[in-house]
Amino acid sequence: MDTLHFLLGGFAVALTPENLMVAAIGAFIGTIVGMLPGLGPINGVAILMPLAFALKLPPETALILLAAVYMGCEYGGRISSILLNVPGDAGAIMTALDGHPMAKSGLAGVALSISAWSSFIGALIATIGIVLFAPLLARWALAFGPAEYFALMCFAFACITGLMGDAPVKAALAAVIGLSLSTVGLDSNSGVYRFTGGNVHLSDGIQFIVVVIGVFSVSEILLMLEQHHASTGLIHISGRKLFNLKELVLTLPGTLRSAVVGFVVGVLPGAGATIASAMTYSMEKRLAGADGRFGEGDVRGVTAPEAANNASAAGSFVPMLTLGVPGSGTTAVMVGALSLYNITPGPALFTQNPALVWGLIASLFIANVMLLVINIPMVGVFSKVLQLPNWALVPGILAVSAVGVFSVHATTFDLMLMSGLGIAGYLLRKHGMPMAPLILGFVLGDLMEQNLRRALSITNGELGILVESPISIGLWIGAVAMVVVPPLMRLRAQRIPAATAT
Amino acid sequence: MSDRILGAACLVAGAGMAWAAHDYAAPISYEPVGPRAFPLLLAGLMALAGGWLIARPGPQGFGSGREHFKSIGLVMAAVIAYAALFETLGFPFATAMMALPIGMAFGGSWKQSLAGGVAMGLALYLMFDKLLDVVLPTGLLSFILGGR
Repeated sequence: MDTLHFLLGGFAVALTPENLMVAAIGAFIGTIVGMLPGLGPINGVAILMPLAFALKLPPETALILLAAVYMGCEYGGRISSILLNVPGDAGAIMTALDGHPMAKSGLAGVALSISAWSSFIGALIATIGIVLFAPLLARWALAFGPAEYFALMCFAFACITGLMGDAPVKAALAAVIGLSLSTVGLDSNSGVYRFTGGNVHLSDGIQFIVVVIGVFSVSEILLMLEQHHASTGLIHISGRKLFNLKELVLTLPGTLRSAVVGFVVGVLPGAGATIASAMTYSMEKRLAGADGRFGEGDVRGVTAPEAANNASAAGSFVPMLTLGVPGSGTTAVMVGALSLYNITPGPALFTQNPALVWGLIASLFIANVMLLVINIPMVGVFSKVLQLPNWALVPGILAVSAVGVFSVHATTFDLMLMSGLGIAGYLLRKHGMPMAPLILGFVLGDLMEQNLRRALSITNGELGILVESPISIGLWIGAVAMVVVPPLMRLRAQRIPAATAT
Repeated sequence: MSDRILGAACLVAGAGMAWAAHDYAAPISYEPVGPRAFPLLLAGLMALAGGWLIARPGPQGFGSGREHFKSIGLVMAAVIAYAALFETLGFPFATAMMALPIGMAFGGSWKQSLAGGVAMGLALYLMFDKLLDVVLPTGLLSFILGGR
């Protein structure tokens, strides 16, 4: 009952005219950003975050904007997957497998409308999941002390490096770079300036916005130079616009299953929309068996990954809101956004700032409805945006990014730092280094060091406290498992076909 | 090959961090762990990862994109110049100047890129500075637009 009460309070926040408008704008921008190949939710959130701050939006409004953008991106990615066969963001890769064949056979309208519907169901179920589970998790997490928090953050890093796939060492290195960047500036405990090189501009640390924009906007522009996507293959929407009852009935069970799986995967740190949609696609393919035409334009191959990627986006809010430890790059950027307002997400937020937490949750419901409404009838308008040439788009992205960075401190130094970090980020990405762990490291760095120091202060430097409580022991075991198990599984997967071949 | 360069860079960075951090000490200490431990730990991890990359470099090198070296260099230079001249030239002018090379690197003609840049510089300036109250530098155009 408490939950219902808080949720109603949340709707009171989310339904104010200002927040409604912000959610609608966010949903609209998010759909466009998600749709543009090369730009995903993390870029969208990164570019809009400094603007939200510069426009002096109150924290809950800023968070609603960013959340709506995030949800919108997961909706938008499918449009270019279906019409162009180029996924608009990483979560929509699987959608292209069946969505594009459907579009080629004249069913573009059906593929777009039913994927919007399943996106809606996915996000709706996951948001209900947040309402049910987040308060429980937050209450449990209140018992965490500094040692548990330190272990939890190590667990989050282990997840994000273990699940990043082919290059765990590079993912770990990215996290270390992020953590190192976070130590620049004044150490508040001792008054020592670290790694500033005597530069005044660095004395209060590197601005979060500068890092995020550099790494996710400037370096993205450089990467976009190489992927010359031709918008010539764009399929025009013709024929039936809306799915029929038969298609709805056929896809509904898979949509519901995928939504639940997507939510669970989204809650886990490190895993995200990409993994969730790949998992559910192969799950539905196996369940459909012989009567499935997966890969040739099966409707179920469109609905399952779309339900899953939207559900996992919503699910990834759970660790961020309840533990204050984001599990994905995009939610890490949101934690950074909150830190601009001097708000540290965590279990205490549920009791100290219910308007923020529940306002956000309620606005997820509202943004989701808005997204469904704008995505079905207006899909033709969005598909026009895909014809926007890069020569106009890219300078626009850079200009808006620079405005965001400049609006914080109004210094050329920050802009130069943005360029430098962007170029460094580009080189690192070209070496196959993922950037999500870097941003997670940068966001968590200070928190991690503080918790480590606080824990060791309790025991006067005795390291034993880090593995004292059952919770920390469990988290450490989980962390080790996350690092050790995936490579072993890959090794096994490589051996089995080798063994059967001989 | 290029993984080894990355690894060597990490070793150098780790050593540099350790050297810079080795004498960080609080003038008066209230806690057992001072400002030095965490940076030193990170320096160690950085060097460890660097050593790993040198010992076991991955199969893939720099990847694709060598054919784009020229345009990448051009865009990098344009980004740095934009950042450096943002305040001096002012937002509308700097944006137009930036959009020309970057637009062309992304396949626009010089006319398209320049026209797009001028329009974008003015439109974004009016939107942010006048409408949304995000103050932007006017630089060279301050005699028309006011501000600095």
